[in-house]
This record gives sequence, structure tokens and C-alpha cells, in this order.
Amino acid sequence: MDAPGLKALAVKNNYPPGDLAIWIFILAELLVFAAFFAAYAFTRAHHVELFNTYQRTLDTNAAMINTLALITSSYFVMRAVAAIREDRVKLCVRWTVAAILMGVLFIAIKSGEYAHHYANGVNLRTNTFYMFYLSLTFFHYMHVLMGMIILGAVAIKANNGSYSAREHTGVETGASYWHMVDIVWLVLFPLVYIMR
Amino acid sequence: MKYKSQAVAKPYFIAAIGLFFGQILFGVVLGLQYVVGDFLFPEIPFNVARMVHTNLLIVWLLFGFMGSAYYLVPEESETELHSPGLALLMFWVFLVAGALTVLGYLLVPYATLAEMTGNGLLPTMGREFLEQPTITKLGIVVVALAFLFNIGMTILKGRKTVVSLVLLIGLVGLAVFFLFSFYNPDNLVKDKYYWWWVVHLWVEGVWELILGSILAFVLIKTTGVDREVIEKWLYVIIAMSLITGIIGTGHHYYWIGAPEYWQWWGSIFSAMEPIPFFMMTVFAFNMVNRRRRNHPNQAAVLWALGTAVMAFLGAGVWGFMHTLAPINYYTHGTQITAAHGHMAFYGAYVMIVITMISYAMPMLRGRNAANSGKSQVVEMWSFWLMTVSMVFITLFLTAAGVLQTYIQRYTDDPQPFMVVQDKIEIFYWMREIAGVVFLIGLILYAMSFFVGGAEPEEA
Amino acid sequence: MSQTFTKSMARNIFYGGSVFFFLLFLALTFDTNSAMPDRDNRGAITEEVALGKRVWEENNCIGCHTLLGEGAYFAPELGNVYKRLGSTEAIKGFIRSRPKEGIPGRRSMPQFNLSEEELNAVAEFLKYASEINTANWPPNIQG
Repeated sequence: MDAPGLKALAVKNNYPPGDLAIWIFILAELLVFAAFFAAYAFTRAHHVELFNTYQRTLDTNAAMINTLALITSSYFVMRAVAAIREDRVKLCVRWTVAAILMGVLFIAIKSGEYAHHYANGVNLRTNTFYMFYLSLTFFHYMHVLMGMIILGAVAIKANNGSYSAREHTGVETGASYWHMVDIVWLVLFPLVYIMR
Repeated sequence: MKYKSQAVAKPYFIAAIGLFFGQILFGVVLGLQYVVGDFLFPEIPFNVARMVHTNLLIVWLLFGFMGSAYYLVPEESETELHSPGLALLMFWVFLVAGALTVLGYLLVPYATLAEMTGNGLLPTMGREFLEQPTITKLGIVVVALAFLFNIGMTILKGRKTVVSLVLLIGLVGLAVFFLFSFYNPDNLVKDKYYWWWVVHLWVEGVWELILGSILAFVLIKTTGVDREVIEKWLYVIIAMSLITGIIGTGHHYYWIGAPEYWQWWGSIFSAMEPIPFFMMTVFAFNMVNRRRRNHPNQAAVLWALGTAVMAFLGAGVWGFMHTLAPINYYTHGTQITAAHGHMAFYGAYVMIVITMISYAMPMLRGRNAANSGKSQVVEMWSFWLMTVSMVFITLFLTAAGVLQTYIQRYTDDPQPFMVVQDKIEIFYWMREIAGVVFLIGLILYAMSFFVGGAEPEEA
Repeated sequence: MSQTFTKSMARNIFYGGSVFFFLLFLALTFDTNSAMPDRDNRGAITEEVALGKRVWEENNCIGCHTLLGEGAYFAPELGNVYKRLGSTEAIKGFIRSRPKEGIPGRRSMPQFNLSEEELNAVAEFLKYASEINTANWPPNIQG
């Protein structure tokens, strides 16, 4: 099948949701995180004691709350997509804003964790465990911020009437990105905070 | 040629080819010095020949980028260049300054050149690729600012296309990062850290934007594929370039005194730097496949496709081979680096400039769209001679580098540097032969412009 | 309509992604800067060492040698030459003794006619360089 035919088919089936270009980036993102996770697992295998010791200094409760916040926000984002599919623009905006607020909660809690570590003199160079912990979580943290900016743009555009049941690729694209950020955390959380 | 002022590109392109020729002449000298160690010593010691070779490379590529911009921006913006006079003036300023600098390298000892040019006032000399006297560097800044002003004003008053905007961003980035060449602290670690903000963020950063936009322009013109499609993919490619290349800078920070987390960050991100080059290859072949016309300048199309492939091989594949920290620990600063460097520079930047010259020169010289069939055949011969000989140069240096890495770095009884160099001499001889073939290919390229005949019809 | 929309999304990813990673790079640079004093041996940068770096630059040593693996590949790595030759005297002696006309048929190092002050300085510079924490690079004494 030629390129225009493929595109027509994709549009017809609405799969994958959102634009193809965003999926290239999502795959690239997942590749980087996968590489980091693999590096973490590999390094941990060579420094089990160190990793176990310092893992205990992490605030698992805070991370639990963050996990719930992200899962909830992903649910909100799904409701936002469902709303715009029914041409319910105002509802879409409200669900999107709710998702962003969950993101704010995540950022606030994570920032609190970082402040605590920093006050204890912990940084990227303290030891290998902290290097991985801080690198992984900070990289993810920046993606949450980016996701919030994207959702913010979606909310503003929705509010201006740019989306409809017929044309709302932007909402689906933003939703896909946010889900990716959530999925990454769902791997990161058990891997770094829990697994011993 | 749609706009009269595009004509200023011609002197830039001629200077580019001329300086390219000088670069390769000195390259052949260097290759011989590797095996006949005192060739031309002490009149032209190795380090002098090398700085002439590398500086000529950079300068001719800059002439090529500027000529490309002067050619494509008026056409993209659909308006005449803001000031052809300024462009011609800067041409002569840059050419004369460059010539004087190279003469300075050749005619007086480097330490004397440093004294003569007042290096003591603001010392910026003596670092790799940045050997130019401080006053030359200041001249480069002036030329770059005038050039950016000229191009910027042209884009401002005309149509703003993605191609010209991406080119402009790349060129502005080039100028901004060059400013770091003025930062030369006593602290060697800091010196090296920020030196890479010029070198890496150029060739593995903003220069990729320049490469992408010129490639996109040539593909739009020669394939007739819808601009919207090409421009979208240009954005995707350059996004991947910067997303991987910025943190990818860390692959230069493994062993220079920077913190060790760079071994992780740098390895992971630089391992992905081949992706945009792979995309460029798929993109180029795809666009040519989907073409709506058979452009008479088949040579230019060949150069365009060749650029994508060789850039992917040289920069992407050969770069990947030694980018991971555990491997780089053993290969750092060996002939592996030289192998990668040559193919990467040739594939990405030499070839894209030649692609643009091949596309534009026939029209700058009054033809409709292309040189004669006979001329294009000679040109395609030059393509294959240069490209294949570069592949062999790279293969020979890779073999030399693998042996060097093993004997000098990896084995339990490591041998001294000079002993190892003797052992790998055969590869240097073979490299030199390939280098001479490359020079022949370049001569053929220049000659192709003088082969006459009638322009081919559009197929 | 959909095509234009797609292109602007790619454009946004380009701008967003570039800004994102540039900010991340700045953050890592800031941290690197904080880390450097413990690794870069800056305590050893005396006026003599600074002069030595100037001598190194103004004679373009990097044009043949590598320093911490960076430079030209014609002559040996000098980041650890202080350890390899054993002393500043040995380094000075080597530079001082280069024949003006070179060594017939061999790769030759110029005679730079450095003063005693310059020789001392460049030797001290190379000693300083050899004590930078380069994560255990090079792998062995040969450089």
C-alpha cells in the first residue's frame, strides 16, 4: 500500500491515535527510559548492598501518593478525550485541568523529596545509587512538567473552540504523551523505590 | 536562477572548491608524514600541516554554507538578497583573512605568530581546530554577524519558509557557539568542557540543522514532492538531532575530569545520535522514490542520496561504534577517532556542500537546470571515486585503530605509542594510496564543470 | 488541514524538545561545575602552571600530541607523561634535546628553543594535568 493509502487507512481506523510523528517521539522517549532502566538494573546487580542500603532512605509514602496522583491524572485525561469525542468541549477542558492539577500535586511532592535530599547533602555525585535515583526521577520530573505544559496548551485551545468531535487530534496526542509519562513512572516507582 | 542576487553564491562556491583542494593537498602531505616521519621537516612540521588541513576544511565548509544560504534564501523568501554588495565585501574579507592566517601558519613558527598577533592580550590560540590568532577569530565574528544580518533581513522582508527558518536557526547557533572559542581558562578541565560547546554543539548540533535544511531544499527542487511533506520531516529530523545531540555532548566528558555520571548520560543519549541520520537516509530515498519529476540534474540527486547514506555510516554507525563509555575507555584518542572523524565530516558536511554546489552551479553559470550529460558523467565518476576512497580510508584507519587499541591499551603487556605506530604502518600506507585516489576524484569534480555540451532534457 | 496540523506539531516538538534538553544540559553543567573543584586539581594551578599552559598552546603541542586523549594522533599522549617519564626534569630534558633537523626517516619533534622558565612551566603544567581525576584514564602508563 502506498503512503497516502496507509494514511487514509490510519485515519479511518484512528490508530494509532494522534499523529504518527508523535509516536516516533514517544518511541524515542521510551527507548531512552528503557536504556536508563536497563543501566540501573545492570548496575544494581553489581552493587546490591549499596543499592539496598540507600534505597531505604527514600520516602516510599510520598512516592505512593505520586503514583496515585499520576494514575488518577491519566484517568482524567481519558475522560477528557471521551468528552471531546462527544463534542462536550467545556467538559473536556475541565477534565484536562483536573489532570494538570494532579500533575501539580506530583511536582509539589517530588520537589519536597528533592529539598529533603538536598538538605541532607545528597547530590548526583554522592554515590552510584543516588546518581541513578536522581537522574531517573529528575528526567521523569522534567517530562511531567513538559506534559503539564502540553496539557495546558490543549486546555487553552479547547477553551477557544479549536477542537470538536470531528477534529481533536491535538487532544489525543497530548493524552498519549501524558499516558507515556504515567507508564514510565509505573516502571520507575517499583524499580527504584520498592524492588530489593 | 530566479533572483539576480543569487549570483553572489558563485564566488563563495568557487572559493569553497579551491580551499577544499588545498585541504586535500595538505591531507596527502600529512598521510605521507605518518609513514615518512620527517617529510618536509623542519620547514612544515606535522602540526603545521595539520592545522592548515583542518582549518581549511572548516573555512571551506563555511564558505559553502554561506554560498548555500545566499543561493537558497532569496529563492525561498521570494525576494532579492538584502545586500549583495555586503555579501561580496564579506567574501573578500573572509578570503583574505583566511589566506593570511594560513600563510601565517606556514611562514612563521606558531609561537612567533602568537606574539605577532598579540595573543597575550586575549589568549585563544593553540587549541585543536581553534588555532586561529585571536584577531582572525574576531574577524570571523564580524563576517558571521554581517552574513546573519544579510540573510536575516532577506527572510524578514520575504516569505518565511520552514527551510529558510531552520537554516537560519542553524547558522545563528553556529555563530553563538563560536563565541565559546574566546573562553580559554587556565583550568584545563574547564577549558576542555567548554571547548566542546564549540565543536560538538557545532557538528553534532546546529550544523545538523544546516545539513537538514539544505538537503530538504535540494529534495524539494529536484523531486517536486510536496513541500509540506518535506518540511514536516525536516522538523522531525532536526528535533531528533538536538534531542539526542545536546545531552550527547556528554560522550566527550568521560575522561577529562568531569563527574562520572556523564559516562551514563553521555552513553545513553549519544547512542541515539544515529537516529536522525537514519531518518535522513529513509527520508531522502523516500522522497526520491515518490518524486513527481525526473530532474535533469541527476548528479545532484546522486550527491543528495550519497550525503544521507555516508552521513549515516560515518557519523552514525562509526560514531556509535566507539561512543559507549566502556568501549571508549580503550579507544579514546586512537586511530578509531580519526577513522570516524574523516567519514563523518565527509559524509555529512563535505557532501552536503557539494550537493548544493552541484545543484546550483549550473544555474549560476547560466544554464537552465543542469550541466550536460557528459559533464554529469564525469561528476558522477568523481562522486564514486571520492566516496569509495573515503570508505577505504576509513576502513584502513579502523583496522589501524583496532590494532592500536589492542596493543597499546587493552593487552596485559601494553606497548609504547611509537612502537605501536610502527606495527600499524602498513595501514597508513594503504590509507595514503586511498587518499591520493580521493584527490584524483576531487580534481575530476572540478574538471566536470569545464566539460561542455548541451543540457539534457527533462525526462 | 490535517497535514498542516501535523507539521506544526513536529515544529512544536522541535522547539519544545530543544528547549527541554538545553535546560537539562544547563542543569547538568551547573552540577558539573560544583563537582569540578574536587576533581580538576585546581589547587595546583600556580602562575607557573598557567604559564605552562600558555607555552603548551603557543607551541601548538596539541598539533601532534593528545592531552587527556584529545588532540592529534601523531605523537604520544601527554596527560600521563609525568608519570611515564617520572619527573619534570625528564620532561624538560626530552624537550630540550630535540634535534633541530629532526631524526632522519622518523617522526620528528621540532626544537622549540624554550627558555628555562618556559621549560619549567610546561613541565609543571604536565605534572598538574597528570593529577586531574580522569576516572582512571588512560588504561595504562603507555597512554
